[in-house]
Amino acid sequence: MAHGVPTNEKQQIQRVEMCNITKCFPGVLANDRVCFDVNQGEVHALLGENGAGKSTLMRQLYGLYRPDEGEILINGRPYTFNSPADAIEVGIGMIHQHFMLVPTMTVAENVALGLKSSREPMLDLDKVSARIRELSQLYGSIIDPSAYVWQLSVGEQQRVEIIKALYRGASLIILDEPTAVLTPQEVNDLFVTLKRMVKDGHTLIFISHKLHEVMAISNRVTVLRDGCLIGTRLTSEVTRNELVKMMVGRDVRQLNPQPLKSGPVRLEIQGLQAMGDRGTEALRGINLQIHGGEIVGLAGVSGNGQRELAECLAGVRKTNHGTILMDSVDISFMPLKQRIDSGLAYIPEERMRDGAVREFSVQENVFLHDHASPKYTHGIFLDFARMRVFASELVKNFNVKTPGLDTPIKNLSGGNIQKLIMARELSRQPKVLIAAQPTRGVDIGATEYIHQRLLQQREEGIAIFLISEDLDEICVLSDRIAVLYEGRIMGIVERNEATVEQIGLMMAGISMTEAMQR
Amino acid sequence: MNDVFQLSVVAGILTSAIRLATPYLYAAIGEAFSQRSGVVNLGVDGIMLISAYASFYIVLNTGSIWLGLLAAIVVGLLMGLLMAFISVTLKAEQGISGIGLYMFGLGLSSLLFKTTIGTVKTVTGFQPVKIPLLGDIPVVGEIFFQHSLLVYGAFLLVPLAWFVLEKTTWGLKNKSVGQNPAAADSLGVNVDRVRYVSVCIGAILAGIAGASLSISLLNLFQDNLTAGQGFIAVALVYFGGWKPVGILWGALLFSTVNAFQLWMQVLGVKIPSDVAIMLPYLLTIAALAITINRVRQPAALNKPFERGES
Amino acid sequence: MFKRLIVVLVLLGVLVSACATPPTAVPATEAAPTEAPATEAPTVEPVEPFRIAVIMPSAITDMAFSQSMYSALIAVQTEMGGESALEIKYSEGMFKVPDAAAAIRDYASQGFNVVIAHGSQYGASVQEIAVDFPNVTFAWGTDVNTFGMPNVFAYTAAAEQGGYINGVLAAMLTKTKTIGVTGPVEVGDAKTYVDGFVQGVASVDPAIKVSKTWTGSFSDVALMTEAAKTHIAAGADILTGSSQSVVGSIGAAKDNGSVLWFGTQQNQSSLAPTLVVASQVYDWSGMIKEIIANNKAGTLGGQAYVLQLKNDGLKIVFNPDYALSAEIKAAGEKAIADIIAGTITVNP
Ligand SMILES: Nc1ncnc2c1ncn2[C@@H]1O[C@H](COP(=O)(O)OP(=O)(O)OP(=O)(O)O)[C@@H](O)[C@H]1O
Ligand SMILES: [Mg+2]
Repeated sequence: MAHGVPTNEKQQIQRVEMCNITKCFPGVLANDRVCFDVNQGEVHALLGENGAGKSTLMRQLYGLYRPDEGEILINGRPYTFNSPADAIEVGIGMIHQHFMLVPTMTVAENVALGLKSSREPMLDLDKVSARIRELSQLYGSIIDPSAYVWQLSVGEQQRVEIIKALYRGASLIILDEPTAVLTPQEVNDLFVTLKRMVKDGHTLIFISHKLHEVMAISNRVTVLRDGCLIGTRLTSEVTRNELVKMMVGRDVRQLNPQPLKSGPVRLEIQGLQAMGDRGTEALRGINLQIHGGEIVGLAGVSGNGQRELAECLAGVRKTNHGTILMDSVDISFMPLKQRIDSGLAYIPEERMRDGAVREFSVQENVFLHDHASPKYTHGIFLDFARMRVFASELVKNFNVKTPGLDTPIKNLSGGNIQKLIMARELSRQPKVLIAAQPTRGVDIGATEYIHQRLLQQREEGIAIFLISEDLDEICVLSDRIAVLYEGRIMGIVERNEATVEQIGLMMAGISMTEAMQR
Repeated sequence: MNDVFQLSVVAGILTSAIRLATPYLYAAIGEAFSQRSGVVNLGVDGIMLISAYASFYIVLNTGSIWLGLLAAIVVGLLMGLLMAFISVTLKAEQGISGIGLYMFGLGLSSLLFKTTIGTVKTVTGFQPVKIPLLGDIPVVGEIFFQHSLLVYGAFLLVPLAWFVLEKTTWGLKNKSVGQNPAAADSLGVNVDRVRYVSVCIGAILAGIAGASLSISLLNLFQDNLTAGQGFIAVALVYFGGWKPVGILWGALLFSTVNAFQLWMQVLGVKIPSDVAIMLPYLLTIAALAITINRVRQPAALNKPFERGES
Repeated sequence: MFKRLIVVLVLLGVLVSACATPPTAVPATEAAPTEAPATEAPTVEPVEPFRIAVIMPSAITDMAFSQSMYSALIAVQTEMGGESALEIKYSEGMFKVPDAAAAIRDYASQGFNVVIAHGSQYGASVQEIAVDFPNVTFAWGTDVNTFGMPNVFAYTAAAEQGGYINGVLAAMLTKTKTIGVTGPVEVGDAKTYVDGFVQGVASVDPAIKVSKTWTGSFSDVALMTEAAKTHIAAGADILTGSSQSVVGSIGAAKDNGSVLWFGTQQNQSSLAPTLVVASQVYDWSGMIKEIIANNKAGTLGGQAYVLQLKNDGLKIVFNPDYALSAEIKAAGEKAIADIIAGTITVNP
């Protein structure tokens, strides 16, 4: 048996066709007579704005949903999948947008889950582990099979997902926004792995919002918009701008912010130290000032203390040392709620976990923090009419695709949940805004809108701290760029003062003076 | 006061504790199966009651303890199917369903008791069996090896349950549907079926717990015989951190302290009886307070699973 | 929505099982085998039957407190001429006081002549409800407090008297000089019975050790059983105790095979025919008849009844299947006579 290559017992998938697939959810037509096909050895990219129906289409191919109408043909034969078990059986694997891992189980257990063991009914985790080592080495670096999933970085978790599919002998693998949660370095690693897989005969379906990724890896591109098929093109015969137009239905402007005269210091961080989750020192003395009307971008490879810094500023992580001043008031010991009340807005990185309640409706999520504000209350009663008007405005302005304000947000597409939380935080008119990865997983149209809003807030005199792993985003938006490496700030440069390469060097731990000389 | 430290008293306390722990072990380990799969079954006490009645009735009328045990198992299974149908298939609120099941078991067992038996009677149930050789060891033999089969069964259940939950492919499925049912579903695990089986195993063990009272430890049946033991069993699952061994320690702690306070009363140690009675509860709560930080409950506990929620 | 519907269904199920089963208000007369005398009696006038309702904390088959009241009512009914003369309704298993209070109020408003709240925990409810129904007689126990109301009777049992007799007999029978008492909660007649028992033992031989356990519950049979086993392991060869959970103690005595038992509240001989020596039996029938007579004469309350050996409310029933030596039996009977005569006083 060749490692990682589809086994012979399973028939090799030569061609998959999805014909006239229609799928309805209450209030939404998620797929409207969509046709899609993929051939053996190909990478077929699927593009579309948030809520366009990409995940829904793929979930039907993986047996999680059943199409209302339409047909799925594999090697020319029609198939009906009642459950993922059926799809796995014919050799389809899927890496989901939100990982499908059990954090409290080990890597080996996650991989073995649901499979027959060689020692049925007993587990044979030793054998599974050996194979995981083999597979993970073949497609990148070894993953410790006995590690618990919660101990792994996001990139490692994704590799576990890929190994899960390969272990089951998948020949067609669907990757639903695999790069949305990865650092640039991790994306490079992933692409190496994917290319290796294609070489070994696998077929890939690749979903992403990032056009350069699509251009770099795919053979063909299919674009969906509002559940409808817009078209399928050979990647080599299409330009970036054409794809944008197909996705958004219009041209997207390039931003070019002009420097502003910055105001007084609004946020000041002095000698901040804090521990990370695993008890190691995550922040080793951070000093930073942010002025009103200024965006300071924090660049850095993830895991160098970005998350800890954001959490310390928001008041959800304990600091060991140092002070935080907002408008010269010491807020170091205030809890989150009090910081929010005194003018801090915080867009957490883990928005799904820290910023929203999945079972609550769109409107309830909009007023998660502000329901007690005098703006929306009459005495002890909530002013629902006013809340509704406000919520529907936000939904309209941010182009959040939802059947209604009362839909629980768990039914929204991933990107639309992001947009909703962004909308809420940006609408608060704070003094200081901390935005962690504000456009992660968000489509091009919405990214443009969020960027515009950030710049608009800046013009209003707000101090903005932008934490992002997307270097392009940082370089376009920031007035100054701070580079974080191993819990220290390596240096702060003005925009246009340093090249992307120079910033990259600093992110790798090269000192500022040295980096600027190269 | 010195009496308390006599060997015979210590032996007495331990013997009592082992007996007292028996129904808790069955019921709590059963509940652990259920809860690890994500279903809180608060109906344990009701299942214990109705199975206790069923096994007692059968033994009273046939004289066969094995038929009695079988009756407890069958009735437990039926109650489990009912609970699973309501909470897994119909996806009803688990807390309410469980309390409903409890009321049902309590009411039905007392109604049936009244109409078919009428008054308190006793039967000859499972008798103590002395294990050859081991049972003859002085003191130790008396404490550990002169109990009825259902008592041995309860303690053998601990390693058995551990093995099934931790070392088998089914155990992995059981855990995964309680932690992240969407993940299990995406690998083709039939979430509902695993939960059905888990709830039914739990209910069967609750049934045996009931039988261990009515045809082994007490050999009689009365209205509300369990007096809420099933609820303590549910608490023991939390105490034991959803692990059979943890549950074993919890059950032993609770019943040892209970046996200890009974002995203190018998020996006339001067403490108010109210304090003595509260002792096991106080100690268990204290132990729980100390351990609570380490306890990690199944992430999908109490959450019905519907595909497409992720 | 579909889910809501299910929740409602489940709730309904809860309600049905909660209301329908434990507090069954089946007319007692259905179960009573007393049809014949009622129809035979030629003197029956076409008058309305006298109506009594009773609320009890445990089941009518508990072999103890509730059963003692129920049996007495049936006995009075038989004596009076059956269902047509005396109608009895009961609610059993009312261990939750709010449920009991609702039942008390229901019966009072349904026009029962007498409503008996058979449990000391129901006192506050009776006090509250009796005000609203001045034409209904309320009786409650065990207690002696009528709250100064003209329509409330209180009743209690001088359980210490029978306890004393049982104590005398037990002291003469014990060989190990160790006796175990398995009590539920240290209140009411459970406590007075035990106090009397201890005095009775001491009157024979102060050196005998009487150890007491309390389980903290009237219904925890499992713990009661273990308490009994503990007494036995500690050397007791005689046990006694009260409440419905002592069936567990008797079971433990029976498992052991040679430990003797003294009962109270009910005749418990049938539970262990070779081991039960004697039982103190509560006989409420005399009191019930007096309440009925008072009610018919227009006295709706204001008195407290105490069951005593003297007024035949308490009886010592020797188990005919246990061969008690004549000498010991005589000692017991002498103690009974002394208590009735007042030459022995037992402190509750
Ligand atoms: N389980 C569900 N119930 C109801 N509506 C759903 C469900 N899943 C998806 N939808 C709706 O279907 C539409 C398509 O969603 P889908 O998740 O396929 O979008 P997507 O293209 O993957 O978007 P994104 O890039 O944001 O992930 C959305 O409007 C979404 O709200
Ligand atoms: Mg998606």
